[in-house]
Amino acid sequence: MSRDTSPFDAVSESDLESRFERADYVADDRTVTTVGLALQLGRPLLVEGPPGSGKTELGKVLAESFDTDLIRLQCYEGLTAENALYEWNYTKQLLAVQADEGAVADGDRRSVFDREYLLERPLLRALTVEGETPPVLLIDEIDRADEEFEAFLLELLSDFQVSIPEFGTVRADHPPVVILTSNRTRGLSDALKRRCLYLHVEPPDFEDEYEIVRRKVPELDAAVAAEVCAVVERLREEAFLKRPGVAETLDWARAVARLRTDDEPLSAEEMERTIGCLLKEVEDVESVDTELLEQLRAAAAAAEERLEA
Amino acid sequence: MDPTDRSDADTPTAVAEGDDVPDFRAARRHVLIETIRLAAKLRKEGASVPVSGSLAAVRALAAVGLGDRNRVEAALRATLVSEAGAIDAFDEAFPEFWHRLRTGLDAIATDHEGPTPGDDDEDEDEDGKRETDTDATPDDPELLADADAPEMDGDGGSGDVAVRIPTERRHVTGDRPTETGSEDARRYSAVGEGGHVDVEAARLTAEESAAVDRFVDVLATLPGRRRRASRAGEWIDARRALRASLETGGAAVDLPRRAATPNELRCCLLVDVSGSVLDTVDRSVLLAFAERLHTSAREARVFLFDTDLRDVTTQFDRAGGDPSSALRDAAVEWGGGTRIGRAFTTLRRDHPYAVDRRTVVVVVSDGLDVGDRDVLADGVTWLSNRAGALVWLNPLAVSPSFEPRSRGMATSEPYVDALFGFAEPADLAAAARRIERRGLDGPVGYEYDSRRGGDEP
Repeated sequence: MSRDTSPFDAVSESDLESRFERADYVADDRTVTTVGLALQLGRPLLVEGPPGSGKTELGKVLAESFDTDLIRLQCYEGLTAENALYEWNYTKQLLAVQADEGAVADGDRRSVFDREYLLERPLLRALTVEGETPPVLLIDEIDRADEEFEAFLLELLSDFQVSIPEFGTVRADHPPVVILTSNRTRGLSDALKRRCLYLHVEPPDFEDEYEIVRRKVPELDAAVAAEVCAVVERLREEAFLKRPGVAETLDWARAVARLRTDDEPLSAEEMERTIGCLLKEVEDVESVDTELLEQLRAAAAAAEERLEA
Repeated sequence: MDPTDRSDADTPTAVAEGDDVPDFRAARRHVLIETIRLAAKLRKEGASVPVSGSLAAVRALAAVGLGDRNRVEAALRATLVSEAGAIDAFDEAFPEFWHRLRTGLDAIATDHEGPTPGDDDEDEDEDGKRETDTDATPDDPELLADADAPEMDGDGGSGDVAVRIPTERRHVTGDRPTETGSEDARRYSAVGEGGHVDVEAARLTAEESAAVDRFVDVLATLPGRRRRASRAGEWIDARRALRASLETGGAAVDLPRRAATPNELRCCLLVDVSGSVLDTVDRSVLLAFAERLHTSAREARVFLFDTDLRDVTTQFDRAGGDPSSALRDAAVEWGGGTRIGRAFTTLRRDHPYAVDRRTVVVVVSDGLDVGDRDVLADGVTWLSNRAGALVWLNPLAVSPSFEPRSRGMATSEPYVDALFGFAEPADLAAAARRIERRGLDGPVGYEYDSRRGGDEP
């Protein structure tokens, strides 16, 4: 395996940090180190955390900042190897056999079990992509797939190869960078975990989130952005079915930026009207009462001082 | 590994003597041993550290170096921790690891006869005093003072002792301050006092068993063996395809498909066995219900809770129709006060994978909670979010005038998919009938009960 030619091996932490910086991805030191390690050691990275904490974004940013392909496999219940790995192009095979261009059995003539008749699905494509820089393979929400599919991934993750019975073993010249994400809706098998480095992402703290909002929603006034972050931070302390993630914060920040015409501080009424950007369960919305709104407003009022401190 | 340790430990010291080059081999050994020790400690705390975890960890250390605490922490976290539940254990163990690592390395750097793996290993199980190893240098008191290790070991040791309190009771959390061996320790709760399981499980009549089975069937979430026609099923329905092909002169144009029907249940049963519930429900029926549900579902975890949560799945697995004696053998207690929130929190912490999105959680509780309301809200939102469905069986809700006004019930009610009254298995048949007709997402539960003058015909 010619792993040493990959540009990911030599990546330093400061390099990675500046790449994230350029891609406007705000990452704490732990994330940078862990991602750097995954790249250097050539191991898959399992990213777990609540929805909306930037797991998928991490894969996208990696591909973008190294200027390489992002191959994304969205997992779902009932996902099978045919959807994820490869499928024979039966129609083409059938036509080839009928036109006497290929044979089913091995012999002198060309077999129809050839690359030409192979439909590559994301996983196989990640192994066969040509080029200097290996692609980033993002296996999204692996916990949604069945246990069987997880087991099927093991060969791919440990050896970066897949066996196709009719064809042989396909091995990657440049192993892809593999990022797996999970929302923890079920436990993953130990065999899978053992093959991966593990990164647990939490929603960012106030300062980081402020930084994210400033970068992603530049049209929003700085003071209001701080208030937005403080309110979300306070909301996350509540027992909600679905606590707001960064994605919700950004939605809300954009909504606030769109709706307001002045630079007044956030009012309780404004929050109540736009709460649909942050809370997406009826039970959660119903549990927002005047008292909580008042506390949110207080948190917003204190935001600017915290920023200066 | 001891003999090799010893000989290895000797050689570098001899070589390094006389010049100022730090003893790299000893340093390397020190790092390896500390890493393995950290992994062992995490396992001891219940974290599942993969076998290759420590291997990956030292490789990661080699990549990030040992200078920066944060980077070392991130590297070890990435390699040794493979589930969110283990993070706390890691956070707790890391400072000690770091301290030992640095003091050890400093000692090696400044003094060629740093702590050798041999003496570390030997002292591991000792309580507080490091015996002077034959290999260690007796004329170097500073080194011993430097290496704080023995004290740490002592801490670990005393922790073990706390767990080994010779009581007959089954500990789940083991952190109750009042629990120092006296039989009355459970009484700190305001409601009720505990006792051993004291009844035989009732023999359910065929009708009652059928009621429980029917209830299990309507909750089913997992695909079973039976198949039915479906637009995007996994299997081709050969019989219907053949018949359809006759219309098109023998060429199969459409391929009808079949999919598995969900008729198997993965379930997590949480039974409140606090005094108040045991007083309202017939205890033997409660046990028989749990037993029948456990048998009937494909997979059922069973937990009993009052102020603690106890995993009794193994007792039910082995019960063979007689759960009460299995519970008695395991000295499981019941009848304490109710801390539902705490039970949920314990479930989340200790058994996070007992509940996943295909699990139906069935809670049997009267909701008379004496714990902290915020803890309960946290727990029930987690449970509701994580589980496929959350069904609450409340013994008090059999009364037509029931309203979920108690503190615990009022907090939980919005997050519960369906709340039914349950005093006897026949109630489950009624619940099952409603779910069959309207689906678990539909208008089902106590509030639609016809006896209340609701909309049920």
